[in-house]
Amino acid sequence: MKRDSTGRRPAADGSAPAEESHLFAGYETRPAYYDEMFEATGMPRVHCRELCDALDRMQPDEIAAMQALAERSFLHQGITFAVYGEEGAQERIIPIDFLPRLLDAADWEVVERGLRQRLEALNLFLADIYGPGRIIADGVVPVDLVRGCPQYRVAMRGLEVPHGVYVALCGTDIVRTHDGFVVLEDNLRVPSGVSYMLANRRALKTSLRNLFRRHHVRGIEHYGQLLRQTLAELAPPGVADPCIVLLTPGVYNSAFYEHMFLAREMGVELVQGSDLLVHNGFVYMRTTTGLRRVDVIYRRVDDDFIDPLAFRAESQLGTPGLFYAYRLGNVTIANAPGTGVADDKSVYAYVPDMIRYYLGEEPVLANVETHLCREPEGLAFTLDNLDTLVVKMVGESGGYGMLIGPHATPAERAAYAEQIRKDPANFISQPVLDLSVAPCLTADGASPRHVDLRPFVLRGSETRLVPGAFCRVALVEGSLVVNSSQGGGGKDLWVLSS
Amino acid sequence: MLSRNAEGLYWIGRYLERARHGCRLISDQLATMEDRPVEEIDQGWRRLYQAMHRTPLGGFLAAGDEDEEFMLADAYTMADDLTFEPGNPDSIRNCLATARENARQVRNILGVRMWSCLNLAYLDVRDVGIETIWNDQPDAFYLRTEDAIRTFTGIAVSSMYRDDGWHFLWLGWFVERTQLLAGLVDAHLAQYPTAAQHSESDWRALLRICEAHVAYRHLHSHSHRPGRMLDFLVADPLLAHSVRHALARVTEALDAVSSGRSLAVEAGRRAGRMASAIDHDWPNRDPDDDAATRAALQGVRNACLLLHEDIAATYFRYEIEDAP
Repeated sequence: MKRDSTGRRPAADGSAPAEESHLFAGYETRPAYYDEMFEATGMPRVHCRELCDALDRMQPDEIAAMQALAERSFLHQGITFAVYGEEGAQERIIPIDFLPRLLDAADWEVVERGLRQRLEALNLFLADIYGPGRIIADGVVPVDLVRGCPQYRVAMRGLEVPHGVYVALCGTDIVRTHDGFVVLEDNLRVPSGVSYMLANRRALKTSLRNLFRRHHVRGIEHYGQLLRQTLAELAPPGVADPCIVLLTPGVYNSAFYEHMFLAREMGVELVQGSDLLVHNGFVYMRTTTGLRRVDVIYRRVDDDFIDPLAFRAESQLGTPGLFYAYRLGNVTIANAPGTGVADDKSVYAYVPDMIRYYLGEEPVLANVETHLCREPEGLAFTLDNLDTLVVKMVGESGGYGMLIGPHATPAERAAYAEQIRKDPANFISQPVLDLSVAPCLTADGASPRHVDLRPFVLRGSETRLVPGAFCRVALVEGSLVVNSSQGGGGKDLWVLSS
Repeated sequence: MLSRNAEGLYWIGRYLERARHGCRLISDQLATMEDRPVEEIDQGWRRLYQAMHRTPLGGFLAAGDEDEEFMLADAYTMADDLTFEPGNPDSIRNCLATARENARQVRNILGVRMWSCLNLAYLDVRDVGIETIWNDQPDAFYLRTEDAIRTFTGIAVSSMYRDDGWHFLWLGWFVERTQLLAGLVDAHLAQYPTAAQHSESDWRALLRICEAHVAYRHLHSHSHRPGRMLDFLVADPLLAHSVRHALARVTEALDAVSSGRSLAVEAGRRAGRMASAIDHDWPNRDPDDDAATRAALQGVRNACLLLHEDIAATYFRYEIEDAP
């Protein structure tokens, strides 16, 4: 930790330390983690200098007041999510941290290139495993890993999808360490968070207008338009002006706000399973003027619940016969059923191999070193090193069912080890990553907190993404868990145009 | 428009009008407590409960209970029952909660300002109880809530796209108003064997509730003519809170959304029959025969229930075979 003789970070221009009332006066850089704003010397990174100076001139109280106002406005507008299993917490906001995270053009270029490459390989993988199965025959990915995955849908075998696109929308979690960007996981089923990305941008743009303008931040507001364009491209062949709908499980779903928001941004109907019906192999929605044919369904409902006839029979959320219409090619479902097999935490370990296999390229974005407990060596390694590893259940997301070894008590580790031994295939382990930190506003001024980012990639007839991401923050000091359901917050990510 | 969205807007209209009407009734009733005799206040509560088709949890004052303190305690309990009681589906808090639940479902077509207005109105009511408003100024609470609902309608008028959603919002609103007004006037008449037995202040209270007192005074000065007041509240097409005016708006909305289906035609016809009954039969009724007048009003209420069934079957929950 580099500090001056008074123990405080030097001012941006290297002059005398800032006054205590200034935002970054007590900010301590931590060499163990990559700091998004400051170099190890405590000086702001080149692309952050102007922001750092401007913020430093503001009073922390002033920023805190803007932040509180934005959060109140989120609550009033209902920009909320629900945490399952928490009584009385039906509607909570994702707290926003008002200190933006900056990414310069070169960094973004790497992220973007890596994401495009990854999504292309993942789509080719899905087309392959539901088609000829070359990657399995060639022994690159083990057959039992794919076919034994609970997310593998036999019903999808041999089915052709428009443009070969299984994953039309993907939200990839990326973190940064001293070694560069690393992909934590690919969310290929129903990734969420894009509405918070846009809401955070709107809030910051309003409150820090001049600062925003001076930074030449690249725009992300056209996401809704791109999403609609992408979905339209995936319509069944021969449909010129497709009717697109967004299928939601309903108001009690944790991400309902986002479903509503996206439907409005795209200008499409927000439907529930009961609004749709299947007749003669086509999907229709009930409108006040009669039945209207639906061509593309952007579903925010898990595979299991989209059609009680094809998947989980007791589901009340879906539409009977929907999968039948899909198989006939009369409707497009995005993302396609069965994409979950490619974001399974065990299959994740093979994504770099998929990139090499299908594209003949080296992966731009690295994976986290992953030990599969389904393999004897991986299991032994995991059990021997529980105190230093992060262990995750393969089918879980949202930070549920996870053990962070160094932060767990011996009793917790022992109980978890027991679970692993009972069903090894259900677990993977990874080293604890030194996630980068970014300054966040706390009661003591700005303090470093761990962050990640989730950009959203779209794939229709071509790949598109807006230069931005939902940047998640672990608001609790020292915590590595950024998930909203686990007390994480959000930040606006400013991708600079030059 | 998606049927579920149309239904959501329809119910927002119904519940907000019900909440607004409730605020109006209760605030007027509380105002009478300042200077009216105990007996009249008791009659006011009876009319109010009958209009809402509800019985107070502890019953009404028994004869001889006209003690002032008891009456105040009773008013507190009844205002609580009508405003906050969780078991009363038509309490103001429940009406706003239901309207808001429907609004959550259709937020993507409602617009941020309409949603925020309704959400804030609900949060205001959710966070207080009868103790708070009673210790403060109960009138102010009801006025504030009513104003929030009026603000919602104002934003709707100034911002909503005039598609089916707009028409279904007002269809619900005015079906509800028709039903509530017919019920209120009927409950008013039920208090005494004949209309003439009501006190003048009783009639004036009714005019005030229906926001008709200024217009009535303008047209008829201060003359106390129960028959004329009754005609004004039921049959005047220009009075915003008359049965006839509400029916005209129902017919208008139905015409706008009708798509030529047989059931749609039936809904329009039913509304038309109700309107023409007021235009042609109402003036010819025997003004001294309160029973006949009440039967006519109950006819309107019942027709509203059937009209609602027609609307739901035609636009919201039709089967594949009935689809055009």
